[in-house]
Amino acid sequence: MKALTANRLSDGDVVFWSAGQWVERFADAHLFADDDPAGPEAEKAGKGQPTVVIDVYLIDLVESEGIWTPLSYRERIRALGPTNHLHHGKQAEGGAVIAALQQAHGASRSTGRVNLIKRTK
Amino acid sequence: MYQYDTLDKAMVADRAAEFRGQVARRLSGELTEDQFKPLRLMNGLYLQLHAYMLRVAIPYGSLNPTQMRKLAWIGRTYDKGYGHFTTRTNLQFHWIKLRDTPDILDHLAEVDMHAIQTSGNCIRNVTADPYAGATAEEVDDPRVWAEVLRQWSTFHPEFSFLPRKFKFAITASPKDRTAARVHDIGLVMRRGRDGALGFEVIVGGGMGRTPYVGPTIREFLPVDQLLSYVEAILRVYNRHGRRDNKYKARIKILVAALGTEEFTRQVDAEWAKIGAEINLPDAEVARIRAAFAIVDFETLPSRSETFEAAKAASPALARFARNNLKPHKRPGYAIVEISLKGIGETPGDATSDQMEVVADLGERYGHRDIRVTHEQNLVLPHVKLDDVPAVWAALRDAGIATPNINLVSDIIACPGLDYCALANARAISIAQLIADKFRDPDRAENVGELKIKISGCINACGHHHVGHIGILGVDKKGEEFYQLTLGGSGAEDASLGAMLGPALPYDRVAGAVDTLVEVYLRERQPGERFLDTFRRAGVAPFKEAVYADAH
Repeated sequence: MKALTANRLSDGDVVFWSAGQWVERFADAHLFADDDPAGPEAEKAGKGQPTVVIDVYLIDLVESEGIWTPLSYRERIRALGPTNHLHHGKQAEGGAVIAALQQAHGASRSTGRVNLIKRTK
Repeated sequence: MYQYDTLDKAMVADRAAEFRGQVARRLSGELTEDQFKPLRLMNGLYLQLHAYMLRVAIPYGSLNPTQMRKLAWIGRTYDKGYGHFTTRTNLQFHWIKLRDTPDILDHLAEVDMHAIQTSGNCIRNVTADPYAGATAEEVDDPRVWAEVLRQWSTFHPEFSFLPRKFKFAITASPKDRTAARVHDIGLVMRRGRDGALGFEVIVGGGMGRTPYVGPTIREFLPVDQLLSYVEAILRVYNRHGRRDNKYKARIKILVAALGTEEFTRQVDAEWAKIGAEINLPDAEVARIRAAFAIVDFETLPSRSETFEAAKAASPALARFARNNLKPHKRPGYAIVEISLKGIGETPGDATSDQMEVVADLGERYGHRDIRVTHEQNLVLPHVKLDDVPAVWAALRDAGIATPNINLVSDIIACPGLDYCALANARAISIAQLIADKFRDPDRAENVGELKIKISGCINACGHHHVGHIGILGVDKKGEEFYQLTLGGSGAEDASLGAMLGPALPYDRVAGAVDTLVEVYLRERQPGERFLDTFRRAGVAPFKEAVYADAH
């Protein structure tokens, strides 16, 4: 599965794509099947909103105890907040998805971001 | 400290107004992100993992209580009630909104602060000895020359688009507290045989993915020729630096490629062409110097009975005095180091409340003078010994009286993967795990001076190459791993650390440091620091213990 993420231009907050709009909680993100063309279409739509978001990209997800979480550690920190201030960022809200993200084990930065390496045309 | 004149104030206000217009045009879509990004970076505004980060310049790590209070207020108003002091002696706010940034820059400008030269391929904030003007070791006040360099380099059109960023450090003490030998240019002041002041000029040191201890290209540069000589160095760099490859663009690569001798020859040839007219007239240097002179020191006995009695009554104060007080050039005064390395805390973080306490103490007891160290601590450079008990009590109440300066828990750590978009691994939590191993202050004091420095990626913002124990976060098959190096030093005995062995997983790092310390305690000879024992005994006993332990 995949999700689409970005940072909001006006405040830098991490956002996720859901039903045609950007939402702040990973728990509310739309999940795309790996072969669902809607994922790349949403990415294209997101990149077409340069006054709303920046740095739009798809991330890979992995199932952890029944809940889909970002595969990469970096993306889990983006969805949660910093591990040194547990009351800062999205993790402060708590809930089942936050708990699943905090407990998930998996890969670090080199994986999990789709099309990370920008190839020249 | 140096006071901005009307020209300085106008420049800062103009820049803030310019950025307000640029932000408005970005938000309206008139500017694309590609057009805007270099503009925001030139104002210290980065996009990190969770928000924008604003890096505020603290020139040569020196600020007054009014400025510190303003930083505290900005932290409380626009961030989450804290700020993070960096290895460049700047302050970073980690939760900034783009739309608030123009207002923040206006507030900074009100107290003569800004975010200029905190990013981009320019001459960055010049760092200097945090004990400047206070230590008896120094041959001159290095802030005078740091301020000369600030004025010369600010918006210098020839050097605002260098091949890569460029960092100066300057010290006037034989004990180097600035890591001068791992800077693009390190300046170490000394006296010549005739008593005249000059600089040892070190060029092409650096960390990052290709670390070098910089060679000395001139043993003694008379002080009055500083600007023409550094301008010659920058011109050679500007001409030949590798703009084609970001990883080979720093001056250290050029110096290494040309060789010290040829690089020096080219600098000397350029220097001859420049001539002396850009050097500062003595009157201007005297004007700058006067701004740093403190004239109201009291004449005091070298021993304070008040302080001695308070120490005798309080072992905690006595411990603080042993570790955090440093000798002052004036009898009856001390340099007070404020550790931002509380056990379990984030290295370099200070809450707005803590910043206000430090500001108040600087106001009341410290000649309105506060410093930031490149080791991410704060300093009150001029405190009467009589006042140390009151200063300590206020710091203790604010949670910033940790008695660990230069000890094992006084760790440099970059923000790492908790904040930084470049990081591969966390650095802060590794620092916290190590500090926790040494939370017993008796044990930490017994270990003595031990500098641990942690970076979350190869860019080495956490100075791991020059840590007595250096720790580099790497991404190994998708997991956080940590490469340990031993024997580095950023001080006057500068050296780069040697690799200990294969990288260790996250949960093994603090234990491995504990093991390294135990080997040191076993092997050390009288008077040896960890670094000395490593240099004498070599890597073998350390390696054997850590990897025997790991299997």
